[in-house]
This record gives sequence, C-alpha cells and structure tokens, in this order.
Amino acid sequence: MDHAAILAKLTELFREIFDDDNLVLTPETTAEDVPGWDSMNHITIVVETERRFGVKFNTAEIEELRNIGEFIALIEKKTS
Amino acid sequence: VLFNSYEFIFGFLPVVLLGFYVLGARHREWALLWLTAGSLFFYAWWRPINVLLIAPSILINLGLARLLERYRESNPALARGVLIAGIVFNLCFLGYFKYTMFLAGAANDVFGTSFTLTHFILPLGISFITFQKIAFLVDVHGGRVSAFTLRDYALFVLFFPQLIAGPIVHYREMMPQFRAVSTRFDSENASVGLTLFFMGLAKKLVLADPMSQIVAPLYAEAAKGGHLGLADGWIAALGFTLQIYFDFSGYTDMALGLARFFGIKLPVNFNSPLKATSMIDFWLRWHVSLTRFLTAYIYNPLSLKWTRARLAAGKPVFGARNTTVSAFLALLVMPTMITMFVSGVWHGAGYTYIVWGLMHGVLISINHAWRLTRPKIWPGAKDHPVFMKSAGFILTFVSVVVAMVMFRAPTVSGAAHIWADMIGGHGVTLPEGLLARLGSAAHWLRAMGVQPDPTSGSLIVQATLRIAVLLVIALCLPNTLELLARYEPALGVRPAKQEPWLVRHARWTESPVWAVGVAGVAAAGILSLGQLSEFLYWQF
Repeated sequence: MDHAAILAKLTELFREIFDDDNLVLTPETTAEDVPGWDSMNHITIVVETERRFGVKFNTAEIEELRNIGEFIALIEKKTS
Repeated sequence: VLFNSYEFIFGFLPVVLLGFYVLGARHREWALLWLTAGSLFFYAWWRPINVLLIAPSILINLGLARLLERYRESNPALARGVLIAGIVFNLCFLGYFKYTMFLAGAANDVFGTSFTLTHFILPLGISFITFQKIAFLVDVHGGRVSAFTLRDYALFVLFFPQLIAGPIVHYREMMPQFRAVSTRFDSENASVGLTLFFMGLAKKLVLADPMSQIVAPLYAEAAKGGHLGLADGWIAALGFTLQIYFDFSGYTDMALGLARFFGIKLPVNFNSPLKATSMIDFWLRWHVSLTRFLTAYIYNPLSLKWTRARLAAGKPVFGARNTTVSAFLALLVMPTMITMFVSGVWHGAGYTYIVWGLMHGVLISINHAWRLTRPKIWPGAKDHPVFMKSAGFILTFVSVVVAMVMFRAPTVSGAAHIWADMIGGHGVTLPEGLLARLGSAAHWLRAMGVQPDPTSGSLIVQATLRIAVLLVIALCLPNTLELLARYEPALGVRPAKQEPWLVRHARWTESPVWAVGVAGVAAAGILSLGQLSEFLYWQF
C-alpha cells in the first residue's frame, strides 16, 4: 500500500473513532492536534489499525506512535 | 542532603560544576565521570549505607541488560525470562524496603497475627530509581537501547538533579544528551538554570513550607477523632492541596534548573495541574513522567491484551461510536483501576494511598464515561465551550482537593472525619474574635446556626489569606514552562502557538528586569533556608 492509500484509510478510521466527519489527517498531525486522542483512545486506534491493515505492533512501538507520519511509516514497513 | 540546604547550594553544587568544567576542558569523558562520582557522593551524603544497596543493584541490572542485549534476537524465550527476572528483582528490591512494614501490618489486621518489625529507613529515591531501572530493561529488551557502558548506566540512574524525586526519565531521552553535552560554560544554560532553580527554591520554602504549619495540626487533630468544623475542614483540604502543589512544583523546577547547569534538559513533570479542566487533563499535567510511565508499562499492555482478546472472541471493543457497557468496563475501567491502584501503592505504603489511587481511578472512569455518552445525551454541548470548560474546571478542582485529604490524612478514618467537616457534618463554627468584628452580619450567621468558638480568629484569617494568594498564583499566573518556553526549560517544550497576554508581556528574557527579579526570588529563598522543611515527594 502506498502513502496516500494508508493515509486515506487511517483518516476513515480516525473519523469513526472520534465521531468527527470533518477530521483531516496529515503526516504532521500529532496526538495534540486531535482533541480526545489520549492514552485510552490510543489503544483502540492501535488495535483498530492492526485489524484493518492486518499488522501487529509490539508494546514498544505503540508508545511511540504519536504522529500520523510515524503511523504511516510503520504500517508501510509492516505491510510491504 | 537536600537541594534546600546551605551545604548543597554553596558547597556541593559549585564544586561539582567547577570540576565539571575544569575536567571537561581536558576530556569530555572525565567530566561525565566526575558528574557520576559527584552524584554517587550526593547519594551517599545523606546515608552512606545507601551506596551499599544501590551499587549492587546497578551492577545486577547492568548484567541483566547485557544478557538481554545479547539474546534478545537469537533467543527470545531466554530474553523474555531475563526481562521478567529483572522486573521481579527490581520490584522485590523496592517491595522489601517500602512495603514489608505495611504488609506485616495488613496481615496483622486481617489475620490477627502480631508481626512486629523495626522500622527501617527507605533508601533515598528508591521508588523513582526502581521505575527507571525497569523502564531501562524493557527498552533494552525492545531493542530501543543498545551499546551502553557501566558509566552510562550509572550516570543515568544516579544523575543527582533527578535522583531523589524524579522526573522519571527514560534512558533513550537522557543518554543522547549526555553524549552530546558541552563542557564549556554556557551563559544561557547558566541563567536559565539559575532562574529555574531559584524559582523552585522560593516556591518550596516561601510558598509551600509555611502552609504545613497551618495544616499539620488540623490533620493531627482529625486523626485523633477531633472535629474541625466547616471552615477548618476546608482549610485542611485546600491548604494541603496547595502545599503539595508548590512543594512538587518547586522541587520539579529545581530539578530542571540543576540539570540545565550541565546543559541537560529533563522532561516535563508538572504543568499547572490545578488549571486542568478534566480529570484526564489533570493527570496529563500532574506528575507527567509518572503518568507516562504507568501508561506505557501498565495501562497500555493490559488494555492492549484485553482489546485483542475481545476482538478475537468477536466481542465489541472500546472506542468507536457504539461502545457497549461491557467493553467500557472491561477495556477502560478495569485497566484504569489497576493502573491507579498501582499509582496509589507506589506513592506510599498505606491504606490511605490505596484509597486515594482508587478514587482517582473512579474519577477518570467517570470522565471517560461522560466523554462517550455526552454526544448522545447532549449533542449541543460543543456550542457552550466556556460553560463546559468552567464546569469541568470546578468539578476537577473539587475532586482533586477532596481526594487530597485522603492522600494527606494519617488514616482513612481521619480523612473521612475531615470530609464530614467539609460538608458541615460537625457543625459550623467561627472564632469569637472574628464574629465580634462582623457587626450585624454576625447576627445573621448566628441565626443560620454558626456557633462561636473561643479563639481569636487570627489563625483562620491568616490561613485564608495564604490560601487565596497561593490559589491566585496557581490558577492565574503563567507557569515557569510558559515563561521560559523560548529557552526550552524542559525537554521538548516550545512556545504555545497563541501565548496568553500575560506570557507575551512577562516572558523570561536575559534582561536586567528579570535579573533583578530572579535575584529577589533567590534572596527570598536563601533567607528562608534552614527552616524545618521536608520534601513531601522525596519519601516516595
């Protein structure tokens, strides 16, 4: 999957989780930019991402996934 | 020895700094060795026997880390075993010193046994050091840390600015800084460091400590079963909240400042928590490095494990629009309660700390339940941001203050007594001396059931004024991180995109005005040295 496709799929996922159809993600978006992206929602985001992309993150990786660019890079690495 | 002593400020610190620059001019490694040795000396100063405890612990952890590094890829099962052994070792080390007494007491309560143990003194900073060591092993196991020497590891564990009461740092955020450290004198680091250190010293000695003389007798009285009445109940609760607030804030500023003398930036640990507008927000501002640790190493693994298990079993998970009650309980409330229980136990060996931790667990869970249900029951709330923020602030503030009573009280029943006082359960009294000055208002008060008590009222007035001043400082003024944002006072701190008016007009610069201001603050702090005081947070 390429960058754009991953970003589109992530955007869809975030819109569902945060119940906000106007949410726009860019590679620079961080947890601070998305109201409600806290440690609790983070787990759901991670597990939903795992499910939809068919990947698995380890505990160490999860902690660092705090911006969308890192998300995309890691998903790209794991799906290639 | 503590930061707030003459010996530290005028003896230890200048000597360590001077040696650091002099040796560093020859060789950077010498400067780092000097800093490590100085930190070990700092640790030994207070109680030399501690060195005999920390040194073997450092060597054992280093040995385990080397095993992890060697086998983590070639033999994952062995590496996992080593990691678990390492975590168990560190927790037992902490547990032996911190909880033996408490567990013996608890066993006596439950089983009617009568273990008696002589009280032994907790090794300095052991709770903080233990968490850092565990984080280090997990990081090595996860492949995020490699190529470390004994000196690297010893400096990471012992670095004296954050040795006794945090922030709880990660090896991977500290070591790149130590490796790149400049051993040349840098005037910006020195002036930022001095500012942070003296602001912290003044917060601790001028703002926090005098409050303890007001609240300590109240808690002692309540623990004996005495009644405080409404006014003193609230003074006890608010007074202690502000005491620990400025104690911890001051300590954190001092730690940031001391590290900065050596060009090292510690992570954010304290960010105006009383300004929080929700319980979740509170924990992202209060003891940030602890929240970070607990989230990463307890909450996340639990929540992740259970979320995956529920998905595999085809059950709904938490987070999407249609969270079910069972998903909420299993995936949010359970891990939150366990995490906050651990937080409570970590803060101290006693029932009060456990109750305090669980109270916060319940409050955080309620906060999340509200977040999930609010869009359904009140979709229009987004149109009233000022109201929502104010309501959130008040609820959070009152919750934090009420819970702090449990944190401070010597016993659970003592805390319950004060709560009863706070809702008027033990009557409402005001000092006679105060009522006499109120004129006709006193009649009103008496008609409403306010009883006079035979004191002059000067104590209550003094306490109220102090609380009011400290509240204004905590709630209305910008904090040190905001004021110094342009100089990265803590790791990763940047100026806000839209700085508040006060920050824009009063922010810290290397100017004569601020120099005079800091000198005044430093003088106030130094003149208060030597009074009886103790860091609330250092015993944890």
